[in-house]
Formats: sequence, C-alpha cells, structure tokens
Amino acid sequence: MSDPNARERRIERRREPIAAHLRPAPSGGEVDALRRALDDLRDEIRQRFGAARREAISRQDAPRRSGWEVLLEALQRRIGRLGMTERSGEVDEFGMDEIALRRARPILDFLFEHYWRVDLAGLEQLPEQGPCLIVANRSGLLPYDGLLLSHAIEQRHPSGVRPRFFVADWLMTAPFAQPTLARLGGVRACRENAARLLAAGHFVIVFPEGAKGAAKVFRERYHLQRFGRGGAIRVALETGAPLVPVGIVGAEEVHPVLFKWHAPARALGLPFLPVTPTFPLLGPLGVVPLPSKWVIRIGRPISFAGVASGAATDELLLSRLNEELRGKIQALVRRGLEARESIWA
Amino acid sequence: MVSDDSKSSEARAAPAARRGSLSAPGVIAVSGLHSFIGRGVISRLLARSPAPRVVGLDYRRPFQLDERVQFHRVDLTEPTADCRLAEIFEQERVEAVLHAAFRTNPTPDLELDHELETIGSLHVMHACAAAKIRQLVVASSTMLYGPHPDNPNFLTESHPLRGHPDAHAVRDRVQMEKLLADWSARHPDAEVTVLRPCWIMGPAYWNHVVRYFALPIAPKPMGYDPLLQFVHEDDALAAFERALLHPQPGIYNVVGRGVLPLSMLLRLGGRRVLPLPSALLYQIAYYPSRGQSGDPPAAFYDYLRYLWVADGQRGWDAFGEPAYTTKEAWIAFVSSRRMRRYR
Repeated sequence: MSDPNARERRIERRREPIAAHLRPAPSGGEVDALRRALDDLRDEIRQRFGAARREAISRQDAPRRSGWEVLLEALQRRIGRLGMTERSGEVDEFGMDEIALRRARPILDFLFEHYWRVDLAGLEQLPEQGPCLIVANRSGLLPYDGLLLSHAIEQRHPSGVRPRFFVADWLMTAPFAQPTLARLGGVRACRENAARLLAAGHFVIVFPEGAKGAAKVFRERYHLQRFGRGGAIRVALETGAPLVPVGIVGAEEVHPVLFKWHAPARALGLPFLPVTPTFPLLGPLGVVPLPSKWVIRIGRPISFAGVASGAATDELLLSRLNEELRGKIQALVRRGLEARESIWA
Repeated sequence: MVSDDSKSSEARAAPAARRGSLSAPGVIAVSGLHSFIGRGVISRLLARSPAPRVVGLDYRRPFQLDERVQFHRVDLTEPTADCRLAEIFEQERVEAVLHAAFRTNPTPDLELDHELETIGSLHVMHACAAAKIRQLVVASSTMLYGPHPDNPNFLTESHPLRGHPDAHAVRDRVQMEKLLADWSARHPDAEVTVLRPCWIMGPAYWNHVVRYFALPIAPKPMGYDPLLQFVHEDDALAAFERALLHPQPGIYNVVGRGVLPLSMLLRLGGRRVLPLPSALLYQIAYYPSRGQSGDPPAAFYDYLRYLWVADGQRGWDAFGEPAYTTKEAWIAFVSSRRMRRYR
C-alpha cells in the first residue's frame, strides 16, 4: 500500500522549485508600472482584435438570422445612432453627455469655422475660471447662438470648460429638442438653475430677452427687447458672479422671419408660425440655416462689488441696472454690425 | 473603496453628533406593516441592540411578523380610528410614530385610497396630538412635486407640491402633506419629519413603477428623455431608521446621487425600448392603466416625460451619504432580476 503521506510529499516536491523561482514581492512603484503596462496591453488588444472579433461574431451569426432580422437590427442601429442612444452611461447632473458632445464637436467646428465664419473678439475679458454669468442677445427660434457661443468659449478659452447655455421653456420641453439640447449643455432657463450652476462654479450663458428675443421679425433685428424681469442681474447680485455682456451678430439672418403667421399656428397649438423666405415654402428644406457672417463681441465684465448686498430686493435699482446692461449689449451689437461688411461677409 | 467607506461612516456619524435635545425613542409605533417601508424599518429596528420596543399597526396581521412586535389591529379607514389609535398610543406609552400606511400601488378604488391616505393620515395626526406623541415620521414621495415642464432641474424641499392632476394617489398625498403642515403648525411641540424618497429601486422592492422597469419591452414617450433619479431600498430604509432614532424635524428629499436619462437607464438594463408618440401611447395604455391604477396613463407616463428630479443635499446632510448612486441602485435592481442581456 502506498504511503498516506506520499501525496503531500509529492506536492511539496512540486512546490519547492516554484518557490525558489518566486521573486520577492514587488514594490509599489513596480506594481503601478506593471498595472499600467497591462492596461496598455489590454487597450492594444481591444483595438487590434475588437473589430475583428465583432466581425467574426456577426459572420457567425449571419446564417442563423433571417434577412428581416438583419435589416431590422441595422435599422435599429442606424436610428439609435441618429437619436444618440449610444452613450457613455454617465451624464452630469444637468444631463450633459460627453459622448454626445464628442460627436457634435466636429459639426459645431464646421459651423463655427466655415459655415458662419465666426469673428470672435474679446475672449480675454472672461475670467480665468467660473462662476461667470455671460449675458447675450437672443436671436432666432433655434438656439444656434447659445450652442455656438458655448462651443467657442470651450474651444478658445484657456479654462476649456464648456459653458451651459439657457434654453427657452418651450424648446426645452419640446419632444426631440429636449434630449438633444440637454446632452449638448442646454439647461432650462430659470433662476433656480442659474443659481445652482453659478454656485457650482460654471460659466452660464443667459439670454434675458427670452422668448421675445427669439420671436422678433426681420425688420426688428438687433433691437434688443425688454430684459425679462431682471432675473440675470438678480442672480449675479445674489451669487456675486461677474457678469459679462456679449453681443452676437449674424444669428438674426440665419432664419429671417418675414412675418408671424398666427392662424395655422393656433390650430396646431403653437404661438405662431415663423414665415421665412424659405421655410413653409420649401418644406423641411427651408429649415436649413442661411450662411450669414457672424460676429461675436465680448464686452468688459461688470462687477457688482460696489452695490450694496441688499440691492437684490431693491426693484428700482435692479431695473436701472437692467437697462444699463441692455444698453451695453446693444452697443456691443452695434459694434459687431459695424465690423461686418454685409450680411454674407 | 476603503476611502469611500470611511467617508460614508463619517458622514453617518455626523447626524448623531448633531442630535438635539431629543434622544432615541424607546417605544416606536409603525403604521402600515404591509408597506415596504413599514416592514423594512421594523426589521432594521429589531436588528439593533438594544432593540427599541416596536408596536405594529395595520388592518390585518402580516403572515410573518416578528414576535417581538406588539401588533394591534387598526383600520385607518374607519371613522373612529383616531380614538382607537390614541388609546393604543397611551396604553403602549408610544414615544415616536412612523406613519407608512400608504398604498404601494394606487388602486382603482379611488374613494378607499383617499380614505386611507388622506383621512387615515389625519387620524394618525389627531391620535398623535391626543396622546402627546413628540415625534412623527411620515413617508411621502418626491412624486408629489409632479412632472411639470416648468420645473427647475433640481427641486428643493421648499418647492410647492403641485402633484399631477391625473394621479389620484399623488393628489391624496399632496392633501395629506398640506394637512400635516397645518397640523404641525398647530402642534409646535411635536417634531414632525417628512421624508420624500424618489423612486425606490433594489432587489426586493416592487411596485407599479418597478413593474414598468421590469417589462420585457418598455414603451416610452417618443422624443422625451428626462433625467431620472433612484434611491436604493437600503438607503431609503436607512434614512427612515435614522429619522426615527435621531429626530431631526423638517422635510427631506431622500434620493441617490447622480441622475441618468431614461433612455440610458433602459440601455444599461439591456432593455428593448418601444418609443411611441405620446398621444398614441396614452391611447393604447388607457384601459390597462385605468384597470390597474384607476388613473389615465398620463398619471404615470408624464413622469417619464418631464423633469422632476429632487435636490437631495438636505437629506444627505441630515441622514448621511447614501451607499448607492442612482446608477448603482438601478444596476442592483437590474442584476437582481437578471434582465441584462449580454451580447
């Protein structure tokens, strides 16, 4: 009969040479280096073989699926891509999505550089870091101005942060517009949101003209409307954030609204139907924005350090400051208009 | 992970240190033993050492009730429930009351729901006043803020409760909170804590909301993708337990950290999504919804259309950091039901 301890001895024998070859436990630096090397290796493997594997899997699956299924899946994928459903699985607390942004940046770059040929000046006026309240004039029904201004600041400003831009209620609750805009950094315009964003140290772009600014017809272009109820000034006073006026020129000509057509709009439940030279005439093609020349002028920041702390409740002071701010933005817009030779150049 | 744990334990220790004049109550009455919160808080209380004495109140005895719970049969929809409750409170020398006798799912019996949620709560309040109970904790919900297009991104506790015009359960609870606010103004010596958890997710929790998220194909209003937040069931129960043991009067949102859009949640769960135009969806879901909850579908699907995310900072400061974020709570639910399809 075999020795009952034979098995253990065998194991011991087998273990010994291994133990002899074992190195002492690596130090922390070595572990980190190893981990990094492994990470790199894994990434490389993924890059090299990921695509091949996916192909192999799809080829493997192919015979088992009917044509309809393949077609449906492809369609689903395509629709999914349009709807930007392929995302990181993480958004920030206001719903901004880095993956969606990464996809949108080339388009915004194209619009900025080549389509609207934006002439941007005064970027150095913005503070190094947030919080900062950027107040601009509103134009056009679609929020191209907010999108482009926030893109410009993100790309050109040394801090590299993406400012959040405020979007009117009706657009922020409209189907399809809301998910897209929220992913790109749009936030519903209201005082609570402004206060929260500024407290967190963000750059915030607001358009105090609100819906009135968006609903201007072409002959009223670049005449700033009444500034809401002084919400922007109030928030700046309350949070102590510097306020930077910005004049945007060019966005008015993107969709020149000739007149507002009320009758069919009421039937559809809309406030009005904008009639542009192209819009109802050419159908969906009329929604394509016109390639006007844009000029953005950033003014000197306004600090409210000298204003008493109780000023946020002083209505008359608020409305005076409000008018002052409107004057400043109007002046910036005028400067922008002078910098432009024509609508197109 | 280690640093996380130490951080959360610190955060949890903080409220105990800031505890005011009130100390932990010795006898706690819990109404609604069939509700998830009532049942869960009782089991958490009894797991403590020393465990406080627990008095259970419900209209019938649950199947599995710990023998340490002193059970009393009370039907809150009866007109004399307040006298009966006051008697029990006096007899058992109850010091704190957790009122969790609310419907887990709204039923088509609108009148009975109203009797239970609004009038039943009124009975509890009256009994607390009569028995001079010094502490009352009430389970509410952030659904009471209502999904509205003009909500700010984060609703604080001071935001008006607008509810939803179609959801009768929400309407009843909004009324309940109004009555409670009046009542606590009239009884300043009673410490009232209102906890408003958002949608609860976890392996054990089940209600009509969870049922939607467990559907094999989730219908969704097309073109809308609101941010949603969840709280893990453990975090919700922990908040209720702490509110009972370390009294902190006030209103608190009980939510997990972080938000996720609906589409991303469903995707993370590996679900098939069926986006339908809202009008069509509401047409299709009309009769099933009426049969299940008594309300038109807007009462539920509007919560998947508009924003109603609550700001949890006050709750986190008072009851400690939640252990699960929104995403983790969702993943805990998904993995417990093995819904994720790995492809």
